[in-house]
Amino acid sequence: MSTQTDTGTRPAIAPAAGAAAAFRGAVAAEWTKLASVRSTWWTALAGLVVMAASAGQLAIYVANGNTNDDPADDAGVVTVGSVLIDSVELTQYVVLALGLLAITAEFTSGTIRTTLQCTPSRGRVLLAKAAVTGAVTFALGLPLGVVGVLVARPVLGEWGSAPVIDTIGDIVAVATYLALIGVLALGLGAALRSAVLTIVVLLATLMIVPLSLQEPDIEVLNRIADVFPGVAGGHFLAGDTEPYPPLGGLLLLAGWAAAALLLGRVALRRRDA
Amino acid sequence: MITLRGLTKRFGSTVAVDALTVDIAPGRVTGFLGPNGAGKSTTMRMILGLDRPTAGQALVGGRAYRELRRPLHEVGALLDARAIHPARSGRAHLGAMAHSNGIPTRRVDEVLDTVGLDGRAAAKPGRTLSLGMGQRLGIAGALLGDPPVLMFDEPVNGLDPDGVRWVRQLMRSLADEGRTIFVSSHLMSEMQLTADQLVVIGRGRLLADEPIGEVIARSTVAVRVRSPHPDGLAALAARLTAAGATVEAADRNELTVVGATADQVGDLAHELGVRLHELSAHAASLEQAFMELTADSVEYAGGPIEGGHR
Repeated sequence: MSTQTDTGTRPAIAPAAGAAAAFRGAVAAEWTKLASVRSTWWTALAGLVVMAASAGQLAIYVANGNTNDDPADDAGVVTVGSVLIDSVELTQYVVLALGLLAITAEFTSGTIRTTLQCTPSRGRVLLAKAAVTGAVTFALGLPLGVVGVLVARPVLGEWGSAPVIDTIGDIVAVATYLALIGVLALGLGAALRSAVLTIVVLLATLMIVPLSLQEPDIEVLNRIADVFPGVAGGHFLAGDTEPYPPLGGLLLLAGWAAAALLLGRVALRRRDA
Repeated sequence: MITLRGLTKRFGSTVAVDALTVDIAPGRVTGFLGPNGAGKSTTMRMILGLDRPTAGQALVGGRAYRELRRPLHEVGALLDARAIHPARSGRAHLGAMAHSNGIPTRRVDEVLDTVGLDGRAAAKPGRTLSLGMGQRLGIAGALLGDPPVLMFDEPVNGLDPDGVRWVRQLMRSLADEGRTIFVSSHLMSEMQLTADQLVVIGRGRLLADEPIGEVIARSTVAVRVRSPHPDGLAALAARLTAAGATVEAADRNELTVVGATADQVGDLAHELGVRLHELSAHAASLEQAFMELTADSVEYAGGPIEGGHR
């Protein structure tokens, strides 16, 4: 009996692709995409500038408040970490652009079709993007925190304190917060497709709606505002024990990010690309 | 092998693709032809799992595209040459594709070489690529995973004559290697040169799925007859009409006959003793065959069917 041979002339390729290998590949692809456009690096630089400016200004406010004639605005000696945390409120909008653009730029340029051709599983694509966005925004959050501290500390002067352990903790917390906000922006971007629309929704969710709820200082409205991602993240950063422990704020924010990703996955699966 | 089974896509009340059932076999170039808006791109997008079918299914190698983990090893596709990030280089674009499917990056250089893009062109950001370079980059992406099935949507768009010839040879050699090649084009003449098999659709419906030679052969062949004797020509016309052919008198000395071969017309003229100055068969080009095939679907688009004329 003769040995049976494959009559096909095409070279046989047997891609041994487990789900884990496929996910690793998707992550590598997303990183390549993010790193290969200059706007990523400009965004990171813009984040550093905004952080420096914001931390400097807020530190000046504290110092001025303590030295002017009005005793009502005296904050006393504050930690440099608290100034850093307040600075994140503005800086986050630059950082979340990274998560946003990771998906909306694909819709704008039409590369989403290439991406889905390479990785047909919508969930895998979005998870890979979330992993890269989260890692990059966390990694960016660390130098952002350092810059905020380095700027705020000398400006605060005698009105500031910088306990080492607490300050490092605050920097890591800021990086964690920014990573989750970045993933939240990514998920929303996948669901809404348009960068502008996503920014509007994020502004409303992170700032406008909770601020409006808190304005009249009514207990029920305040409790509702506490559930919003920006407020929950703020409680986590500030280490508040009310209305829930800091970990509660972190979990709430993480829940928002996860929900946004799920929403994005549903949209990617149902809509034609 | 690409298998379409009752593949249907509706956008609202519009039926873009209507119960398409076709097998696209390996080892040959299958041309995908149809007028604009016939549903060619929608069909290709459904094969790639980009558009969800309203009904039916599209399988590649027996599996739905969305189930594939490393699909670039199974199917390569060029859909839209313009789909590259304006700021990303062609090399990074291919690099990301390669990473996603576990393809070594040296393969990127190989396919860049195959499509004739040098290092300088591959380093340029997407926005600066010409349509022709975009097409080459898209083809490079399709070849990346060395897949047994390849799909090209209008691959010669924007290519210069050299590029067109190159694409033609590439598709031929890929088919000769035993791969399934499915290529759409609005250039009928291009199909005539490249395709072995034709799948023709109109208004989303399958109009023909047969070897290209048959499409041409089955279509109308007109026979031109010229004679210095108008009376003899009139007699010839009468006999041909009686035999079921359609005869049109171009002028007193010339007839155009459809529905009879040149041999038949010549025999009949001999029998009637009509002296001929010309007897020529005009083989229909694919263009004509295509027009005839799609005439109904275009007609259908023009207005309501009066009915009963067939």
